Amino acid sequence: MTARSLATGASSGERAASPSVWSRIWQNDAPGYLFLLPWFIGFLGLTIGPILTSLYLSFTHFDLLTAPRWAGADNYVRMFTNDAKFFASMRVTVFFVIFSVPLKLAFALAVALLLNRGMRGLPLYRALFYLPSLLGASVAIAILWRQIFAGDGLVNQVLALFGIQGPSWISNPNTSLWTLIFLSIWQFGSPMIIFLAGLRQIPQDMYEAASLDGAGRWRQFWKITLPLLTPVVFFNAIIQTIEAFKSFTPAFIISGGTGNPINSTLFYTLYLYQEAFGYFRMGYASALAWVLLAIVGLFTAFSFLTSKYWVHYDD
Amino acid sequence: MTIRIDRRHFLMGSTALLAAGAAGAMPAWAQDTRMRLFFWGGQDRADRTYGVSDLYAAGNPGVAIDGEVLPWGDYWPKLATQTAGGNAPDIIQMDYRFIVEYAKRNAIAPLDDFVGGTLTLDDFDADQLEGGKVDGKLYGISLGANSVAMMVNTAAFEEAGVEPPNRDTTYDDLRAMGEAFKSANIRGGMKVIADGSGTEPMLDNWIRQRGKSLYTPEGKLGLDADDMTEWFQLWAGMRADGICVDAETQALDTNGPLENTMIALGKAAMIPSNSNQLVAHQAINKDPLTVSSYPRIAAGVGGGHYRKPSMFFSIGGSGANKEAAASFISFFVNNPDAGKILGVERGIPCSAAVREAIAPTLDDKSQVALDFVANLGDLLGPLPASPPAAAGEIDVSLLRTMSQEVAFGARTPEDAGPAFVQGATEILERAS
Repeated sequence: MTARSLATGASSGERAASPSVWSRIWQNDAPGYLFLLPWFIGFLGLTIGPILTSLYLSFTHFDLLTAPRWAGADNYVRMFTNDAKFFASMRVTVFFVIFSVPLKLAFALAVALLLNRGMRGLPLYRALFYLPSLLGASVAIAILWRQIFAGDGLVNQVLALFGIQGPSWISNPNTSLWTLIFLSIWQFGSPMIIFLAGLRQIPQDMYEAASLDGAGRWRQFWKITLPLLTPVVFFNAIIQTIEAFKSFTPAFIISGGTGNPINSTLFYTLYLYQEAFGYFRMGYASALAWVLLAIVGLFTAFSFLTSKYWVHYDD
Repeated sequence: MTIRIDRRHFLMGSTALLAAGAAGAMPAWAQDTRMRLFFWGGQDRADRTYGVSDLYAAGNPGVAIDGEVLPWGDYWPKLATQTAGGNAPDIIQMDYRFIVEYAKRNAIAPLDDFVGGTLTLDDFDADQLEGGKVDGKLYGISLGANSVAMMVNTAAFEEAGVEPPNRDTTYDDLRAMGEAFKSANIRGGMKVIADGSGTEPMLDNWIRQRGKSLYTPEGKLGLDADDMTEWFQLWAGMRADGICVDAETQALDTNGPLENTMIALGKAAMIPSNSNQLVAHQAINKDPLTVSSYPRIAAGVGGGHYRKPSMFFSIGGSGANKEAAASFISFFVNNPDAGKILGVERGIPCSAAVREAIAPTLDDKSQVALDFVANLGDLLGPLPASPPAAAGEIDVSLLRTMSQEVAFGARTPEDAGPAFVQGATEILERAS
């Protein structure tokens, strides 16, 4: 810190004499890059390498035990022309994303609105509601979920009180994916915290003005809260969608890594894992990974392009 | 000295190492030979295995064995990754399903040169020795003989007032037992048997009784669409009549931990399993269990069973300690004291001398498992050729999924038969 301020102090005199762009960049930005260096070394050494390797492997057949064999575009061609499981897993994943993300965001927003009404003990509730997000992706919760939604699990015991005989939610192909969506909604903590922070940013005088004009709470929500919150909604939607596409652990644990019953919980990532570590087709699995990256990238780009029509920045 | 790693001990161990390092008291590793021993299994197997490696290390100063145990599902990815990284363990527990793949890629070493020298196999069962050969060369030493077996809850049969199955029980008898279970209605509608339509060994046993095999020695599919249709029809009938458990219940069993099996969940009085698993199943079941043979397709028809090497020890193809590893394996399968520690947990020992030595020390359940494998008689058929590399994929991604499709009504048996054959053929072609 001292060294830096000394350096800038000394240079401010010189700057007038010789305003070199490079030395200015060096003096202003070098400390920043210096701080970035550890991450940068890790990124170059540990992340970029494997990423490029996997891109290469996606054009090969590779079974881990023998050297990769060049395959050209075989893997990609097979994926789109001759792989029913690829499409099945894509269907499951897209279904999961389409339902889990909006429901989770709506639920998170509802809870955030509730918590934003200045209730007593807010920090406690906030922490409690955040807890599932910390636990949700864990193996323990996935196992617990199995117990809760099994044929004689907690859910059906409660339903039985009302005389309803529920199915074995977790092992019925029509309901198994919904238990995973439900698990995802239950982990609403992190978008909720962000919504809560966003709600705090909305100036109170707007609500006061609206009240004076006779707008009810409902109208205030649609005309003030939601429009001003759209940047936060946008951010949450992007993050949660990427998370949902990447979701793996719950399906892996709940279905024992099989994606069953009848591939109804065969997430894309689970299929990728099976191909890679179940059947040792690393080349094909790498190709699957790159297609997923492309899909997530396309989706995110699409969201950014459309954002100017519905995201209102307050400027 | 023996080092072992499992998930629970890893943290404790590394903490202790750190502490030792901080105190400036890092132990000096002055060993001549360090070997890594890698196997799958549960806690019981780990304890027995480490007991033997301790015993071996005590008698062979200068040799250290680092053991590592993983569950079956995690074991194969890790072994493949280590092998790919040129870091294969010295002693590798190997399965009948993978031995051809690993041998053909030189990921495990041929053992013929050690036989008669460091590796003593004088009184070793001939069929078990044969099971460890690939293209005429010995790649794996069987750690025990094993057979498929029905795991039977005898208490449940008693409660239902039904005579438990025996070696003459047929699929028709099974139906009669199922009807009796239905009318007895014990324990919230317990069925006599789990749904075995997605259990590969049960299909294998059934098709062998018809004089065919799941796979030919050339690695092709050994059954046709009509066989498969009939197989799915057999179970569809039992499902419809409430002889076996329903689709939703069966789907709770993900073929993972034993705790999720129908017998452990109390949904069925018997399930298809393996003889050596009696010990493991009994450990998690309050009711007394026993083993019995898989049902016959008709009275007097046998030949479905075979004495399978339950698992092997192989030696890593690139290891520097092959000789020492062979010596350890020899100790593992021949030493009577080692045999007493291991019991029949990995199947019936293949050395006659070891079998004799451990006989008086076995507990009841181990004795039952041993007697079962020893007395298969006419149920016994020849050892089939080792399955093709894609057999695992056909089992997991095709047979099990398709059995669920039929069970949940998404496919008819008549549709599933040809679809299975087509799917299996495609998988076999892709893998070759």
